Amino acid sequence: MKIPVCRLADLPRGEAYRLEIDPPVSVFHTDDGEVFAIDDTCTHQDASLADGWLEGCEVECPLHASKFDLRTGSVDSPPAKLPVRTHQVVVEDGMIYVEPSQAVPNLPPCVGARLAGGLA
Amino acid sequence: MTSTSLPDSLIATLSGSYYTDPGIFAQEQERIFETMWFCVARASELDKPGAFRTVEVGRESIIVTRSRDNAIRAFFNVCRHRGAKLCTEETGEVKRAFQCPYHAWTYDLTGKLIAAPNLTKMPDVGRTEYGLAPVHVREWLGYVWVCLAEEPPSFEEEVVGAVVTRLGDVESIERYDIDSLAVGKRIVYDVKANWKLIIENFMECYHCATIHPELTEVLPEFADGYAAQYYVGHGAEFGSDVQGFTVDGSEGLDRIPGVSEDQDRRYYAITVQPQVFINLVPDHVIFHRMYPVAADRTIVECDWLYLKDVVDSGKDVSRSVELFDRVNRQDFDACERCQPAMSSRLYAKGGVLVPSEHHIGAFHDWVQGKLGS
Ligand code: FES
Ligand code: FES
Ligand SMILES: [Fe+2]
Repeated sequence: MKIPVCRLADLPRGEAYRLEIDPPVSVFHTDDGEVFAIDDTCTHQDASLADGWLEGCEVECPLHASKFDLRTGSVDSPPAKLPVRTHQVVVEDGMIYVEPSQAVPNLPPCVGARLAGGLA
Repeated sequence: MTSTSLPDSLIATLSGSYYTDPGIFAQEQERIFETMWFCVARASELDKPGAFRTVEVGRESIIVTRSRDNAIRAFFNVCRHRGAKLCTEETGEVKRAFQCPYHAWTYDLTGKLIAAPNLTKMPDVGRTEYGLAPVHVREWLGYVWVCLAEEPPSFEEEVVGAVVTRLGDVESIERYDIDSLAVGKRIVYDVKANWKLIIENFMECYHCATIHPELTEVLPEFADGYAAQYYVGHGAEFGSDVQGFTVDGSEGLDRIPGVSEDQDRRYYAITVQPQVFINLVPDHVIFHRMYPVAADRTIVECDWLYLKDVVDSGKDVSRSVELFDRVNRQDFDACERCQPAMSSRLYAKGGVLVPSEHHIGAFHDWVQGKLGS
């Protein structure tokens, strides 16, 4: 399944686009002109990586500074411990498409904790 | 203030409680410091994007920072979530954003809310509306001034106007090119006295011959007790045997090129209410900011500004700094000597001003007008 994201021309280098699917995906256009897609939600807590800091092929989570590799999804150091998923990107006729991964996402545990009774 | 018949030579000061009463101090914070333009920092202290300084203005803590577009911005130091103080350091640097240490709400250098836990699940939370609350900022003379009022008074009238009132025109200060000077020395004084005692002291020179022997050597006319601030456009002339504005009258540093012939070898002093004093001499500028902390305590931060070349080349400015550092210490000692007596029953109705101090009466009227009393 190929999901249209936006036109490549509308996503300047150094910026990110948040695709509102469930779970959301963020698409990054790096300074070198490459386009990558990863899960938008940090695996530590519910933060949007599209709001993070893009540097080279890494994005730093805006909340607690774990960095994710856009090519592999791996995380460099805590507090986030689990990788995000990466998604296949295709650009056709100037349009960016994402093919969402079928793997199980590593969503942060906050939703579960809240349901379990709201621990601080 | 009702005073029982004073002799014509004397007018009354404010009563003692104006210098001690925490309630009056709180009113001054609210009606003076939180409504007027307040000088908070030298712009060059914020030397790169993310450099910040926190300053108390009235009852509020304010963050002053430089953003990526190089503009200086200032915000209330209060997290928009549940009120945690964002920055507790007096100075520092953030890499990209201010982050609240409590729940990690994260604001960029323009104050916009850029991230927070679960923020994407709350799309109705406006990132500007819930960004840091800005305060008005102006830069002038290389200093950053803020105003906490929603509708600030005219900077031109209040701040520039105060300088013009003293010097006669704005060109007289522009000739010192203060924004391009460099800080050769900064000294911070912790003065155990009410801020008004410090202003009053700065406004008069009746004390000069008694407590400022070095200054009176350099500026002999100060011995007659009339401060430069008594007149418009008047600079006190250096003594004929004095080479420069230094502790021993020895030669000063390189003269600021724009300074005119009639400003040469003269000392000018300006008060910009409520908290700035500026001294101009041919080779440097002394720039004081007062930060009132409590009814009986004021922090005074003082910069000695020289030509950039003078500072960069490491020239010895110590004799030049020492003159006014001594003057400051002598003045602040005098203020601290008065502060305890402000609560004496003898001072309940205040003291008196002699003719060379009568212009301080206008300052007292101004304070009372601001407080609506
Ligand atoms: S939410 Fe990303 S590191 Fe904590
Ligand atoms: S009080 Fe600042 S994030 Fe909660
Ligand atoms: Fe003095």
